[in-house]
Amino acid sequence: MNRGVGGLAEAANADRLRVFGVAYLNARPLWESLAEAPAADRVALSLAPPSELARALSEGEADVGLLPVGGAAAIGDLELVDGIAIGARGKVRSVAIVAARPIHELTSVALDLSSRTSVVLGRLLLARRKITPSFFGAPPREAIAQVKDRTGALIIGDAALEIEQRFPYRLDLAEDWLEWTGLPFVFAAWFARPGTLTAEYVEILREAKRIGLCRRDAIAKSHAECTNLPEASLCDYLAHSIRYDLGDDERRGLLRFWSEAASARLLPKCSPTVRAVTVPDDIGSQPRPSLDALLVRAADGERLSLAEGTRLLREGSLFELGLAADAVRRRKHPHGVVTYIIDRNVNYTNVCTTSCRFCAFYRPVGHSEGYVLSREVLGQKLQEVVDAGGVQILLQGGLNPELPIDWYEDLFRWIKKEYGLGLHALSPEEILHIARLENLSVPTVLERLRAAGLDSVPGGGAEILVDRVRKKIAKAKCTSAEWLSVMRAAHRLGLRSTATMMFGTVDTAEDRALHLMKIRDLQDETGGFTAFFCWDFQFENGVHIAPGEHGTHLYLRTQAFARLMLDNIDHVGASWVTQGPGVGQVALRFGADDYGSVMFEESVVSSAGTVFGINADKIESRIHEAGFRCARRNVHYDWLTEAL
Amino acid sequence: MLSVIADKVRRGERLTFDDGIALFLEPDLLAVGALANEVRVQRHGDKTYFNRNLRVEITNVCVAECLFCSFAKLEAHMPGAHTMSLEEAWHELEARMDDPPTEIHVVNGLHPTLPFSFYEDLLRGFKHIKPDVHLKCFTAVEIHFFAQHFGMTYEEVLVRLRKAGLDSLPGGGGEIFDEDVRSRISAGKATGAEYLEVHRVAHRLGMFTNATMLYGHIETFAHRVDHLLRLRTLQDETKGLQAFIPLAFHPDGNGMKNLPAPTATDDLRTIAVSRLLLDNVDHIKAYWVSLTPDVAQIALRFGADDLDGTVVHETIYKTAGSRSPGALGDGELVRLIREAGCTPIERDTLYNVVREYPRAEVPEAAMKVKDRKRAAKLAIVQDARDAKEMNS
Repeated sequence: MNRGVGGLAEAANADRLRVFGVAYLNARPLWESLAEAPAADRVALSLAPPSELARALSEGEADVGLLPVGGAAAIGDLELVDGIAIGARGKVRSVAIVAARPIHELTSVALDLSSRTSVVLGRLLLARRKITPSFFGAPPREAIAQVKDRTGALIIGDAALEIEQRFPYRLDLAEDWLEWTGLPFVFAAWFARPGTLTAEYVEILREAKRIGLCRRDAIAKSHAECTNLPEASLCDYLAHSIRYDLGDDERRGLLRFWSEAASARLLPKCSPTVRAVTVPDDIGSQPRPSLDALLVRAADGERLSLAEGTRLLREGSLFELGLAADAVRRRKHPHGVVTYIIDRNVNYTNVCTTSCRFCAFYRPVGHSEGYVLSREVLGQKLQEVVDAGGVQILLQGGLNPELPIDWYEDLFRWIKKEYGLGLHALSPEEILHIARLENLSVPTVLERLRAAGLDSVPGGGAEILVDRVRKKIAKAKCTSAEWLSVMRAAHRLGLRSTATMMFGTVDTAEDRALHLMKIRDLQDETGGFTAFFCWDFQFENGVHIAPGEHGTHLYLRTQAFARLMLDNIDHVGASWVTQGPGVGQVALRFGADDYGSVMFEESVVSSAGTVFGINADKIESRIHEAGFRCARRNVHYDWLTEAL
Repeated sequence: MLSVIADKVRRGERLTFDDGIALFLEPDLLAVGALANEVRVQRHGDKTYFNRNLRVEITNVCVAECLFCSFAKLEAHMPGAHTMSLEEAWHELEARMDDPPTEIHVVNGLHPTLPFSFYEDLLRGFKHIKPDVHLKCFTAVEIHFFAQHFGMTYEEVLVRLRKAGLDSLPGGGGEIFDEDVRSRISAGKATGAEYLEVHRVAHRLGMFTNATMLYGHIETFAHRVDHLLRLRTLQDETKGLQAFIPLAFHPDGNGMKNLPAPTATDDLRTIAVSRLLLDNVDHIKAYWVSLTPDVAQIALRFGADDLDGTVVHETIYKTAGSRSPGALGDGELVRLIREAGCTPIERDTLYNVVREYPRAEVPEAAMKVKDRKRAAKLAIVQDARDAKEMNS
């Protein structure tokens, strides 16, 4: 259903409002006429799927977007344009849970994860009925195909309209919401970055709505032509099922939804700074919450929005963040055990085509210092790991164009056969590189590598998942969406992975909060991340980028903040390899429950000037001195020893 | 338990021996640190002090036998034994006269043959080169040794050295006052009572001094608390202590090398408890040479308000395995302080303000690129990072 109007986006210039719409049928009446004169002189319109729209708004590439209300809560600090929305009072038809048996008998529900708002609404409505099925993600057609016996599906959009009569049991979510709350439901509305909207722009959006409402029949007709849906049904849908108003009742419905979702910990408590541009006395009349209130909520495990998170990271003191993170750590890991792993970081090649400005490790193709480790050298290293009681290796390297996928497959099989070590191998960048090199899809590459022995995917190369930052420090590297898509694909295959963040270059507090939010969103979707690690950029001579904000205090505050933000990731690890064993130990009191690894080598970080080696005894005594028991773990964070 | 102690601290009530033990045993390290930080903020706001000093170690020949020491050589002819000539010592200052230190900190072994006049000449020579330099020289252990060795009272020793230019005494040699522990880790030098008496006499003569505690070896928490309380009693009497400096034991190359060094959480806790127990001492120093710059920086939020100085030429910790860099530039100290969200203040030895630096706009923005352009500074960071290596 997405339709690009890319040319318009490129033509955007500074004095036009950058407006993002979505290509869904029910949204078209609100934005279509913005692409025409006279509005087009004042507005640069782009179309994007909701997730992309949320990204563009939070990263400042869009000023105003037709954003689902769930996404708006996650961003937090946005203004809401009054008077315009996409909602329903009663049956909406296009958002429903369908089943072959009565809804209350369902034990699992397939979800189209692209619509967070509908998913949250669906979960709230089921929870209210004390129905607690398990949920799993699936594309719409697949989800429909899954419906049988005790498995239902949450279907949205055209797919929901197509199957209106197919299943005997159907829970229309907007209808059920009305029955529960007596209020209309708002699915999406125009949300703007603070300060970008003027009265003139609001009027342009309202005029677009007036024009659009008059064209609903034409829109239904054109949509019917490109789908199999009957025109009359679509006309009725746009005219009667969807309501485009945002008045007092709708605002109450919206606030109720945000508050229910926050209580159920499905969304951040929606920041009251979301306000109606022209109705300042309703939403948004509440004062800004105190930092203390925010910290208490964070320590209680409530979900934070982007705006709340950014504020905490900017204003929270070392102790405030540390104590809150320690409380979260204690609740998630009440046994007071800190884990560590015996492993080895092997960099199989230093030949790399990306030349990141913060990296002192890589050598270009053909450079005299370039290497690919031989089996002999590798074998020696691996035997040492086995001899030291090690259980895995972290295998990473540069993007070497001379190594085909067979090379990796052979290597993995050989390692598994000869040494039986866990393979935590190949960061997303390397997976993408192999896929491009071999002209294979990412899932295919992952599937083949998994068949050859890959156990989990390390989260390296995430740096900051904000493309503005990535372009400045690692131009040749994958985009944040690509990085996330590799992890998504890996998780869908059942592979687990870690997530990382390297801060301290050109990134701001907001970038760091956004990075964590993107990881949190993907984790909501897949649940595939085991742990999170962060560190500050390690400066050394020969690196072509200057350090930005960094240092020990920022490291501890950032790690603590990550523990607060990532409410859905089990483990946070201290990066003593970059921070030193002392700071790493202190970090255990700032939200971390893992001390990382007894490492033999880490060429990438150590060539940037940080060289630490530490043995298991020392790690254990440091963990004990910090007031914890310790246990050895494997890559899945299972304990391999009793907690001592 | 901690909340009872916190109430006492906030009411300004004095903590007891048992409170001290409870603070060492409290599982919630951050809560102890936050309480110490409250006291620190109440006394000093976010001001954090450092000075530009020059450390001179004239001789490592020493008649005392301390198990924790990797620096001293027992006799002048032993390999590695070294004694500077007066000219060499003075040259240390002359060489730095383009950016002169405000303080010279002299610590020596207890040398059996150097005459008393050597020390007097040493001080006169420094004052001759730079009349306004502050001479913080000779620990209480050395003063005690001079008194014994040259047949004088503490007062006579101090008066003569003062006449030659001595301004104050450093705090070295405190170790652990408890008689049993002290006799097991060191022999042939001042007892705890004698150390305290030297400070008492110096204070009576109008001199200020610092005090130290060497922790993390064979002593218990009770010994640490006892040590702190003996200092508190002296301070009630004389008001002459300016700063207290907990010193972490480093085990390399000395008679206790089988012991593990204290770890960062112990370092931070000891700083915090010191801040809370020593309610009559103004300053708690996080000596970065012993803690590493990174941990010292965290300590600034655990009760410490002073990072010591630029410390050129420290060898006592170096020989005991400290991987801290030999010196930090004043720009680097300013950066460390700003990163902790504090206001850097260059002080002289007596805590008069030499220069107040602006606080960073926001704590985390402390190290903007423009502050870091000079390659020299970057090289120092590099040393510090290298120094964190802990191969074992």
